Amino acid sequence: MKIKFRIRRCSPISKEACDPYAQVFNVEAEEGMTVLEALLKISDEQDPTLAFRKSCRSAICGSCAMNINGFSRLACNTQVIPEYKKMGDMLIEPLSNHRPLKDLVVDFTPFWRKIEKVTPFLTPTKKTSEATVTAEAEAAIDRSQRCIMCGCCNAMCNSLEIDEHFIAPAALAKAWRLVGDVREGHQAKRLEKLSEEHGMWDCVRCVHCTEYCPKGVMPLKQIEMLRSGALKAGILDNPGAKHVEAMADSVKKIGRLDEAAMTFRTLGFLRSLGMIPFGLTMERHGKMPLPHIFPQIEEIEEVRKIYEEFEKALKKKKG
Amino acid sequence: MRAAIEAAKGGYNVAVVTKVYPVRSHSVAAQGGINAALKETDSPEAHMFDTVKGSDYLGDQDAIEIMCKEAPADILELEKMGAIFSRDKSGGIAQRPFGGADYPRTCYLADRTGHGILHVMYEQLLKYGVYLYDEWHVVKLVVKDNTARGIIAVEYEAGKLHRLHSKATIIATGGYGRLYKTTTNALSSTGDGMALALDAGAELMDMEFVQFHPTVLKRTGILMTEGARGEGAYLLNAKGERFMSKYAPKVLELASRDVVSRAEQTELEEGRGIDGCVLLDLRHLGEKKINERLSQIRELAVNFAGVDPVKDPVPVKPGAHYSMGGIKTDNDGATRIKGLFAAGECACVSVHGANRLGGNSLLETIVFGRRAGKKAMDFSKGSPLSDFPVDSLMDAAHEVANIVKRENGEAQYIIRDELNAVMEENCGVFRNKERLARCLDKIRELKQRHNGVSLSDKGELFNNELLSVLELGQMLTVSETIVLGALNREESRGSHYRTDFPARNDKDWLKHTVIYREGGELKIRYRDVKITKFKPEERKY
Repeated sequence: MKIKFRIRRCSPISKEACDPYAQVFNVEAEEGMTVLEALLKISDEQDPTLAFRKSCRSAICGSCAMNINGFSRLACNTQVIPEYKKMGDMLIEPLSNHRPLKDLVVDFTPFWRKIEKVTPFLTPTKKTSEATVTAEAEAAIDRSQRCIMCGCCNAMCNSLEIDEHFIAPAALAKAWRLVGDVREGHQAKRLEKLSEEHGMWDCVRCVHCTEYCPKGVMPLKQIEMLRSGALKAGILDNPGAKHVEAMADSVKKIGRLDEAAMTFRTLGFLRSLGMIPFGLTMERHGKMPLPHIFPQIEEIEEVRKIYEEFEKALKKKKG
Repeated sequence: MRAAIEAAKGGYNVAVVTKVYPVRSHSVAAQGGINAALKETDSPEAHMFDTVKGSDYLGDQDAIEIMCKEAPADILELEKMGAIFSRDKSGGIAQRPFGGADYPRTCYLADRTGHGILHVMYEQLLKYGVYLYDEWHVVKLVVKDNTARGIIAVEYEAGKLHRLHSKATIIATGGYGRLYKTTTNALSSTGDGMALALDAGAELMDMEFVQFHPTVLKRTGILMTEGARGEGAYLLNAKGERFMSKYAPKVLELASRDVVSRAEQTELEEGRGIDGCVLLDLRHLGEKKINERLSQIRELAVNFAGVDPVKDPVPVKPGAHYSMGGIKTDNDGATRIKGLFAAGECACVSVHGANRLGGNSLLETIVFGRRAGKKAMDFSKGSPLSDFPVDSLMDAAHEVANIVKRENGEAQYIIRDELNAVMEENCGVFRNKERLARCLDKIRELKQRHNGVSLSDKGELFNNELLSVLELGQMLTVSETIVLGALNREESRGSHYRTDFPARNDKDWLKHTVIYREGGELKIRYRDVKITKFKPEERKY
């Protein structure tokens, strides 16, 4: 079966810039052929200048992540024919949220710098280094250990798209790999650092990272583990933790989210003033319907009952 | 990486030069595990015996003894660094049975053991501030007066040649599975380091011993771990028979890899295969156990063969997997060139002899990586930085420029495909004189043709094609040594099976093949095997 591959390419002008264009290749696809095999075939038989990264071709080295029909995937474990049947002609593009250097090869330097930021190695204390890793302890970090650093999660990350300094899901999954390790000795220090600006609280929980991870790492789940770890450790003096507290309190108090009040509690008075222009823009686009006052819901007692039950259960668990 | 960590820990200035980023290196694909006699009921001697027997008595017993004795401490050290192996019920390290071993001594992290260890090695590189030169391809080891001076490499991203000047150089470039059409190896496993070392004046040893893994997927060559059989999977032929009962009645599927691969090949050649494959049957293990212990295997079988092992048996066949041979080193990774070391699959100490046991390759990289790092450090301590010959960089630049300049030549992939086909057909599981001679002629012809290839890509940045041409040259060099070794060794031992000499012949051939270059010609000499504790006896499973 002949299948059309439309590839978004980029000719390097210098190390910093490349000139984008699209090119179409027709590939004779056989049953079982992967996108990576198709690219190899193109580079052998049609255009040896086509650049892309590859190595293990069995979904464990993480080299060949790219956008396939709009979503970040590994070229080596995406089969051409089923994909074609679902989506039609193939559209192959470099990984989003990463700058292309040449064709499908993107600049991975920012990715590695983010990993380095989370101190990506075990730092045990004398005491913790003797801890026994039980099967349960291993299971707690099992998912985060599966990461192959392919960048599929970061490529689909909404927060990274608007803030290039965001630490992003791959590094956060790595962070949990270490924070969640019973032999680690500096959990609190790590969580404090992760609570800083551009850190774990900047994730907007869109679930893309978990959805597009080819190895089942579930980065969002690891982010949630980190966040609840920070709250438990009493690392509360940051907008992220305050936002969570404000949210819980607001629901307890009026049964719904009082967005205006939450902004004050999350950011404090002065920084909230800075949000006024943003609020006005929202207003202009009809995203803030009047009135800006959020009354208490009628069934508030039932909501409070939920809180009571929850607190009771929590006490019982602790006691 | 283990070697780099050892030297960096000692306070030395260390750089890792690699053609892929460190976490992409092919150790990442090692699935099954790493051997060590951890339990009181096991012993390093038992591990040693299994390894010696597995090697068909060609392994050097002093080296094997070092590896087996040092294994337990190295496993514990890996855990100290941050690795986690799968646990048993008491919170200790779990161990599973592996082919050719008399005791369940393979530690594992599900079916991602190599991945687990490699990522921890990477973490340690960062911890100790090792410099990373990633996506650099080494084109030359610079040696003058039998002393290593450093390397010359192409920076892939910039298309520039660089020299790295060092007191000591350690080669750890892995294997050459890509010489074969069907291989479990990564696209980057092209035997670069072996060819570089040979060209620089080092010796290669036992190159004819190529391990064919018995369970790889048909079309892609992707590996189905031996751990699958360790957990109890069956091998069936077209008639549904567990055919291993004929070849290894005692241990069946858990015989060593050469034995199982030959059994499969025999079944296939005698017409009891299905579409060129036998079947790996995991169904009786049940979904729960498969998901727990072999989840990646299930994923790979589904994604790459369209078969769910919970429901159907997986078609598999033998594929090139591992190089027992490599750069000849002593027990500390030293080659015959001063300041040049090698460790891991690219090296030949030799601990695997004629056949490697599963779970011993990761172990070799850790034990001998550490030892080579230590030795390179000691060497650096005692010697001055010798000068880097100025013209070597110019020479390398001319060589690369000549490839780029050539016009209207053949495309590299045609030569590569012909090499893959000729190696697969003539230098595979079964070999004979006629086939090997034909293979050698073909390789020499391909070498000539390789000198005339030209590039379509004349660009500097990320020139994939240039890289392929450089790799192909290295592959051809390595192939020649394999076939030459195989042609000369007129016996069958371990993975090397000659249909014209089907018996092991200890009287004439209990010795290592050593290949080196002299005046442009490949020369062979032989070296005795070091036998300490275990006298050669017939090998039966």
